[in-house]
Amino acid sequence: MQNVLSIIFCLSLFYLAVTSRVKTYVTVLQLQGIILTALLLYPLIDHFSVPALILPATLFIVKVYLIPKYIKKILLDLDIKRIIEPTIQQFSFLLLVISTMTVIFVAANILSKSTGIETIPFASGFSAVAVGMFIIIFRKKLIIHVAGFLVLENGIFLFGSTIASKLPMMIELGSLLDIFVVVFLMGIALNKISSTLSGFEVTALRRLKD
Amino acid sequence: MLLLAILIPLIAAAACYFIKSIRAQYYISLTVSVLHLSFSFSLFMGWYRPGEFILFSADSLSQLILLVLSNVYFWVVLVSFAYLTRTAASHSVSGRRYYFLLLNFYLFANTAAILSNNFGMYWVASEATTLSVAPLIYYYRNEEALEAMWKYLFLVSLGIAFAFIGILFLMLSSNGTVLEGRQLFFTEFAEKSALLNPIWLKASFIFIFVGMSTKIGIAPMHAADVDATSNSPSPVAALMAGSLRITALLGVMRIFQIVTPSSIHGFAQTILIIGGLFSLFVAFVFMFKVKNYKRLLAYSSVEHLGIITLAIGIGGLAFVGAMYHIVYNSICKVVLFFIAGNVHREFKTREIAGVSSVMNLMPWTGWLFLLAFFAISAIPPFGIFFSELMIFEGMLFSGKPWILVVTMFFMLFIFINMGRALFQMLYRKSEDEVVLKEPERFDITHFASIALLIAVIVIAVASPDILREHILSISKDFGIKL
Amino acid sequence: MDLNTLAQGIFALLTILVLAPLFAGVINKQKAIFTGRIGAPVVQPYYELKRLLRKETINASSSSFISDIAPAVNLIAMVVAAAMLPVGFMKPLISFEGDIILFAYVLGLARFFQILAAMDIGSSFEGMGASREATFAVFAEPIFFFTIGSVAFADNLTSIYDIYHSIRLDNVTYIVFIVVCSISVLILAVTECSRMPIDDPNTHLELTMIHEVMILDNSGVDLFLYQYSSYVKLCIYAIVEASLFYPFAVQNSYVAVIIFMVVIAVLATTLAVVETVTARFKLKFVPQYLLFATAIGVLNLLIYTFTK
Repeated sequence: MQNVLSIIFCLSLFYLAVTSRVKTYVTVLQLQGIILTALLLYPLIDHFSVPALILPATLFIVKVYLIPKYIKKILLDLDIKRIIEPTIQQFSFLLLVISTMTVIFVAANILSKSTGIETIPFASGFSAVAVGMFIIIFRKKLIIHVAGFLVLENGIFLFGSTIASKLPMMIELGSLLDIFVVVFLMGIALNKISSTLSGFEVTALRRLKD
Repeated sequence: MLLLAILIPLIAAAACYFIKSIRAQYYISLTVSVLHLSFSFSLFMGWYRPGEFILFSADSLSQLILLVLSNVYFWVVLVSFAYLTRTAASHSVSGRRYYFLLLNFYLFANTAAILSNNFGMYWVASEATTLSVAPLIYYYRNEEALEAMWKYLFLVSLGIAFAFIGILFLMLSSNGTVLEGRQLFFTEFAEKSALLNPIWLKASFIFIFVGMSTKIGIAPMHAADVDATSNSPSPVAALMAGSLRITALLGVMRIFQIVTPSSIHGFAQTILIIGGLFSLFVAFVFMFKVKNYKRLLAYSSVEHLGIITLAIGIGGLAFVGAMYHIVYNSICKVVLFFIAGNVHREFKTREIAGVSSVMNLMPWTGWLFLLAFFAISAIPPFGIFFSELMIFEGMLFSGKPWILVVTMFFMLFIFINMGRALFQMLYRKSEDEVVLKEPERFDITHFASIALLIAVIVIAVASPDILREHILSISKDFGIKL
Repeated sequence: MDLNTLAQGIFALLTILVLAPLFAGVINKQKAIFTGRIGAPVVQPYYELKRLLRKETINASSSSFISDIAPAVNLIAMVVAAAMLPVGFMKPLISFEGDIILFAYVLGLARFFQILAAMDIGSSFEGMGASREATFAVFAEPIFFFTIGSVAFADNLTSIYDIYHSIRLDNVTYIVFIVVCSISVLILAVTECSRMPIDDPNTHLELTMIHEVMILDNSGVDLFLYQYSSYVKLCIYAIVEASLFYPFAVQNSYVAVIIFMVVIAVLATTLAVVETVTARFKLKFVPQYLLFATAIGVLNLLIYTFTK
């Protein structure tokens, strides 16, 4: 089951790499949130306990409902253009994603021989970290950077849940990264970055340099 | 008691939220800072020996860095009120309103990070430090500040995420050993690190180092840190340069402590040396082109943290020197940023070209600037001279003497360029000279600067035994035989 | 080869050859219904083929012998490819170790001759169509090898018949694997048969189309051969796709054929729906669309290699 969810997760990463709509990013983030929730809920089928529901429930509310809703609100309020404005061609981006993913999968497979890690979820999670980084590097819009950070964080969560099953506290700590995202979004919304920094893009952040 | 030291700042932060008067907030914060300073001082002197408290404890390294934090924090709070009540148009109401609240929260987060004895707690606290300092950077509420805050917050969040990956890898490296499924206690992992899986340990070290270096300001991850330090109000800049970077460095030192007895010790050393040398190189390059004196100071921070990282990587006597350097550098940086704040207040610009004849117009500030520059450039009898001497000696006998040559070369040019910029500001006569309405008065920042500069000399010359003992005990924890 | 398998093979081949235009007709009919028209009868492609046969064949004066042989080569290649595909559980006429490579390159040969013929006419329109076809072929070919190849790689089989027969839907990862495979094969089918998001077979606007523009100057029997082989091609890709879901079929060969037909009918509906709801891509988006399918294939290969 973990494998299946990881595969869908990887497909969502490919989709992120080719899409050029901001809204699609939000939808994909929601999908990833659902995948992660399902991943946490799956072990509960065998031994159910109410406290174990708290984390998936919080995750679901935050990642699938609150954050997407907030991003959509910001998109509306600040009248952000719907195109993501990449700095390199989507084709090259996808090619980069594929090659990175291949390297990560092969490396994970080699490493899984010496330590007992599950190759597929581990590699999928790590690919998401890489894709999140790429999204941050190769996109202009700040809101997409936030989305990239979320993808990265989802990736950490995915492979963290395969590593840290013995120490669930660590996974819960990982979800604290969401606070940053909320702060980013608040920063954008409260300070109306779009009105002060024209265009709401990284190109506008050129004031500070030597 | 440890818990109390962590919780009091939090309570003070809460109090600051309800109290409207800035003056009252100031007195509360000052009280807290004095309490905190006395606590960490008594901890340092060994008058009070704490036990372990769940996730917190204090070994020699924590005690030293806690003292550095308390010291910096105390002086920053002391000058903050004068800074906030200056009649400058650029101050905003909401910035001032939450200033002390955030300072207290900052103290809370940093204390928790320094006193934590496992990686989970350290990571959470470290995240909290970022969250506390980001709004402080945005104090001026203008575009530059917003950009600096956004960049800092974003890059450091990425760094924190990377550090988390590193921590997960550390956990993974313990699979199949007795440590499997245990909390990530520093001491426990350091003792048994020979058992850990070297590949994952290596990955863990790299991720934690790269992640934390966004906060430490080690090149190539220094950019956001430089922006943030140079665009925040000067007390906040002093706080960041003096203590926040050291708190972040603690994380790297902890993982380094863990890998020390293991087979990848050499690898970790190489990484630290590369990071340190590259930071020196970046500082060296940017000193040629930097036109903004606060950025100049920020690059000086990059340089000195680079030296510290390099020295930790080299080990031996250089490591001991690095510990001294942490103390001296943090004090000198606080002085420099205070003085730079004074200059900024009078000249309303951060450009070097816009500042002239500081020596004539503001004699106090001018002379202190000169002295602070001597202090940071390792002129005797200031402490940094002795610590750098120790680091150089360590490098010379480390088996890699070429590092010494490279370091000296970089530092020479950094010194020349910094000196050139500084003397321009201090002595250059300009056509459209700003004429001050009244002669400069001796104010609290001058007092703080003088006190701190004297402290740097006294600590270095008197060389208190207790500091020496602490540093030797830290060195022992890091497996260094002298 | 005994008589029974020979008969089965011939039956399978004939099924494809006879029913290919019908398949296209079914798709067109459904598409018409979805868009609110009555549409031509499902046997309309047969009428059109018949009409073409009665027309005179005229070649451009500048064309060489390539234009004469290309349509025939095209159809022959299609028939050979069709002879390698299993219909239901029937053993195909041509089946040997490694025929997957032959299959791919027989289709490649057909494309090659079509492109040559288009250039041979000497019109710039056809040349443009040929260049587009060649460009997209570069991106389409890896899809086949990565998806069908990953299934092949999974069980170390190289014959199409064996590959399809090795699929067993007994574990959940494998089902997802097959479903994911089918997505990228569907994209491949759409590309190769010049259907909707890539190419619009209905617009006769020269600047936008790919396949149609290459046969713009053909007429009569030549056009009949081209059209018929494009119907066969569509049917071939439909079978490549539908065969992934083989295990749903029953082991009895004749019942299997019927179930197989049902799967194909479902596929026809899918294609019709896709063509109704999507608009044609801008040409510059096509490579990344195809690379997306390749990416799925690569992912499949990786996942399958590491879960084995």
